[in-house]
Amino acid sequence: MHLLLSPMQQTDKLISPSVNWGSLTPLLVLLGAGLVLLVGAALSARGWAKGLYATLTAAAAVAAGVLQFVLWNSTVHHGPKSLVGEALVVDGPSLFIGISICAALLLAALVTDDYLRREDIDSPEVYGLYLMAALGGLVMAASNDLIVLFLGLEVLSIALYVLAASHRKRIESQEAGLKYFILGGFSSAFFLYGVALVYGATGTTRLRGPESIKTALALTVETDKHRALLVVGVALLLVGLAFKVAAVPFHSWTPDVYQGAPTPVTGFMASAAKAAAFGALLRSVVLSMPELRDDWRPAIWVLAILTLVIGSTLAVVQTNVKRMLAYSSISHAGFILVGIEAAAHGGESGDRGIASVLFYVLTYAVLVSGTFAVSTLVGRSGDGAHGLDSYRGLGRQRPVLALALAVFLLAQAGVPLTSGFVAKFSVITAAADASSYAIAIIAMLAAVIGAFLYLRIIVSMFLEDGDAEGERVSIPFGTGAAIGISVAFTLVVGFFPGWLLELARDAATRLY
Amino acid sequence: MLTDQNWVLSVGVFLPLAGVLVMMFIPKSDELLVKFVGLLAALATLGIGIYTLAEFDYGQAEKLQFAVNTSWIDVIHSRYIVGLDGLSLPLYILSMVITVLVMIYSWNHVPSPGNPKAFYMLMLVLQVGMAGTFVAQDLVLFFVFFEIVLLPMYFMIGVWGGENRQYASLKFFLYTMFGSAFMLVAFLALFFKTGGTTFSMTQLADLVQQKYAEGGLTSTTMNLIFAGMALGFAVKVPMFPFHTWLPDAHTQAPTQGSVILAAILLKLGTYGFVRIALPILPQAAKVFAPWIGLLSVIGIIYGAWCCLAQTDMKRLIAFSSVAHMGFVMLGISTLTSYGINAAMFGMVAHGLITGMLFFVAGSVKDRYHTLEIKRLSGMLKQVPKLGWIMGFAAMASLGLPGLAGFWGEFPAILSAFEPAKGNVDLAIGPLSVNLYRTFMIIASIGTVFAAGYLLWLYQRTAFGTPTAEFAGLGADADDQDDHAHGAHDAHEGAEDTGHADGHHEKLHDVGIFEWIAWAPMLAAIVFFGVYPQAMFKVFDPAVSLISKKFGG
Amino acid sequence: MIAAADVTPTWYLLLAAALFAIGCTGVLVRRNPLVMFMCIELMLNAVNLSFVAFSRTYLDIKGQTTVFFVLVVAAAEVVVGLGIVVAILRRRPSANADDIAELKG
Repeated sequence: MHLLLSPMQQTDKLISPSVNWGSLTPLLVLLGAGLVLLVGAALSARGWAKGLYATLTAAAAVAAGVLQFVLWNSTVHHGPKSLVGEALVVDGPSLFIGISICAALLLAALVTDDYLRREDIDSPEVYGLYLMAALGGLVMAASNDLIVLFLGLEVLSIALYVLAASHRKRIESQEAGLKYFILGGFSSAFFLYGVALVYGATGTTRLRGPESIKTALALTVETDKHRALLVVGVALLLVGLAFKVAAVPFHSWTPDVYQGAPTPVTGFMASAAKAAAFGALLRSVVLSMPELRDDWRPAIWVLAILTLVIGSTLAVVQTNVKRMLAYSSISHAGFILVGIEAAAHGGESGDRGIASVLFYVLTYAVLVSGTFAVSTLVGRSGDGAHGLDSYRGLGRQRPVLALALAVFLLAQAGVPLTSGFVAKFSVITAAADASSYAIAIIAMLAAVIGAFLYLRIIVSMFLEDGDAEGERVSIPFGTGAAIGISVAFTLVVGFFPGWLLELARDAATRLY
Repeated sequence: MLTDQNWVLSVGVFLPLAGVLVMMFIPKSDELLVKFVGLLAALATLGIGIYTLAEFDYGQAEKLQFAVNTSWIDVIHSRYIVGLDGLSLPLYILSMVITVLVMIYSWNHVPSPGNPKAFYMLMLVLQVGMAGTFVAQDLVLFFVFFEIVLLPMYFMIGVWGGENRQYASLKFFLYTMFGSAFMLVAFLALFFKTGGTTFSMTQLADLVQQKYAEGGLTSTTMNLIFAGMALGFAVKVPMFPFHTWLPDAHTQAPTQGSVILAAILLKLGTYGFVRIALPILPQAAKVFAPWIGLLSVIGIIYGAWCCLAQTDMKRLIAFSSVAHMGFVMLGISTLTSYGINAAMFGMVAHGLITGMLFFVAGSVKDRYHTLEIKRLSGMLKQVPKLGWIMGFAAMASLGLPGLAGFWGEFPAILSAFEPAKGNVDLAIGPLSVNLYRTFMIIASIGTVFAAGYLLWLYQRTAFGTPTAEFAGLGADADDQDDHAHGAHDAHEGAEDTGHADGHHEKLHDVGIFEWIAWAPMLAAIVFFGVYPQAMFKVFDPAVSLISKKFGG
Repeated sequence: MIAAADVTPTWYLLLAAALFAIGCTGVLVRRNPLVMFMCIELMLNAVNLSFVAFSRTYLDIKGQTTVFFVLVVAAAEVVVGLGIVVAILRRRPSANADDIAELKG
């Protein structure tokens, strides 16, 4: 009866939470750039000069990335902290994933500029949507409240629905948008129901810190009576997030959407959205519900194995390269889930697991952005040439481009001296440390099956006779730069992985 | 005195990369310069190798020399540990020698579709991986080098190979990666189960015994870890039943690829057994030894039978490799000093001899454009020198006393007469004498088969009169102008792979580049055949250290 | 007479679960995108109902405020979804999930 009045009765003036604006700057930069872009483009009659949108987006991505580095330094000195009344946190994992998302945003902006020019589409809103999606991703990775997480998820997802449908001349693109929308909304509903049930069981939606789910779960006696509710709630959360990370059996949208969406957007989805979703998975379940791990770890285990095996086997039978890469991204999600499973063990091996997840997310984000950048170019005008045939003879026609793609593919296959190898190695190490040998072996075997797929593309680039069909692939500057950055990163991390591994390790131990 | 020149190995391993870097800046069209730089890099590497050979302290061959132990990737506890002992030295040098020889051979034998720049670069990268594997003393470093080898070989087979190259190269890649998958997990399991602080092989070996004695490591765990490693190595060796990639890879690979594959790559597997699996997990090794022995003798007999059924010369040599590596593995499986010494010798000998046979096969293919045994005949009449060299290599391969092959094969069989007696200190029991004597008998039957298939091959191809198809094309005594032929070869390789047009140019005998490439191998086969002690005395101290664990 | 006449929060929760299940089935069974949207809306509103019910049992305001967030998000989703459907309808007169077969699967 006094429900709605009770907060007012305690205090007679409105207390606003401490916001800590300084730590919010990465989010504000992205938000501001997005608004400037949308409003500015709408107000100016003839549109901006070509390339300006992309430049602004890239600059915002770099700025947000740099600001997160600054925040990183401050967490080193002052420890992690929470913002906006404990709704968001600034800590190791959130910054690490945030930087991964910014890297993906930068690469996507570089590639999209050339893409839109080639396809003759004038769409400033695409960049605005990129920025919003990145913002949502950052919020997801940094959220300390399930509702905030949900909001971040929706900001990210809604922007991505539109992005997927943004190629107005290709019906496939709009269909991809619709499919993504329906299945995305469906999964969001699951996630939200999970939030509701967890709220029902624990009385809070805050994840860590005082009066949070984590502390509520620590008092087992209290939650025991709501245990069923809690377990169902966590299961629903997992279903919702599994949709987002494209884990089998919730992956069915991935190939269609990846294939239909404009290729740069696909790259962004595979990198940024995946990074954000894994950040959310870490935050909402792994880090906040360790007491319940005996209930949800088997689910992760099953998800990981299904994802690895089915992702890599189905990838092999595809003939469209974008679909292949879609399935391959599913199998990479499986690898990251192996790391999550290791993280679920808690303790030192748990830290190792978190670090491996963070490392994998960042390296994969760069890798897959580069891969789809090459795929964007090979798709040629109309963004339709994604059959394996289109890659035939690329090694002769465009040796440097083919070599770059070969580097990306070999890295995804996990060949030594590439970032992909180190990523796989750290995930497998984490699994071995957690004594999850079965999953480690299955992951390695899935990598072997996956290698077959990547070799198939390499074979058709270098080994098969005959020339690529259609027009000659052109390499514009922005896309070339994006590919160059990705290759350099892949190789540098492959040869000298120590520093990045240490950063990931630091991030994993610097938790709020 | 132990040498402490710690730069030697790192330079020896990575020097080829400098060559690769230089070659990147040479235009593709300048083929002569490309080949020159490639060869120079390989020669310089070999120079370092010879220096290593000279500086190596043979009095303490069981110790790691030229050792380096610095931090590498601290976060994963992997260190850059390299070192060379008697086990590694011969193989390390062999890899350098073979690379140089293969490059000399390639001077005018770059296989279709040409592009010597890429070809030479791949060979140099391959050299880095091979040499690195033999000196790495850290499991992660070993794994990285072990895997690096895969890619250049994959491209070598895939780009420069025969008609079925795609299938063969994929099969090669996937099989080896499959094995590595288990190997890596086994390495990690070893690290975490022993609570190691580094991946250093020697440290882990000590820790395993310590933990085992304390009861912190069960024998089941050790067996599983050993099984994982063994699977990785066995695929590479290759042991029956994981051998099926080998004939395809060999048949489709260009001559150079086959030579490197046979001479070095297969040794990575056997070397792994001796260097890693046996010393680190002796208890488990004892459990698995009889099974390894069994698979080895199956390999010996099966390989020999398959040889008898082959119609293609290269495929026949490939299956003979399966049989020969069976002998090597049999020697290892006895866990005795005698057997492992024989196995180590067998590795080098097989590298030289089978490498030589593949060279000959490549040259036959160059001349006759076919390797079908029934179409070849009377080589001794048409190309007598090539024919004699082939005869020599075949004799060496079948284990003729006085040539290197004998010392790999005969002692390996003999060692099975008395397998390891066991070591009470490490709780290792003796191996079954009866079982191993059975193996011995089967293996000796295998040598008879070996003589059979090799002599039969030789008889069919070298003796007799040339087939009608090639009649009248024999080399004339004065037809020795190699430059003309070299140019001709390169020109022809690009445009035809067969003989469908029914036109054959004159067959010429062994050319100058072939002589330069082959002479060192032929000499080594004789030298080590006559004076095997030269190599045994290098192996023995290090081998004794390992076999001591098994009481042999 | 039925004794359990007083309506406890559990009733609302069960109702919410039923609504959620109906919505879920609808998405899986129906093929018309518009109907599928409506089913998703139904699912979201079922969640809202359970939020309110939980909020009431805990005498805590947070669950109720959440509902507003969800409503806004749902509205945004509908706008985007309808926009996409309209874009497709412009090129193709009948939008039906089975007609959308440019992409297999």
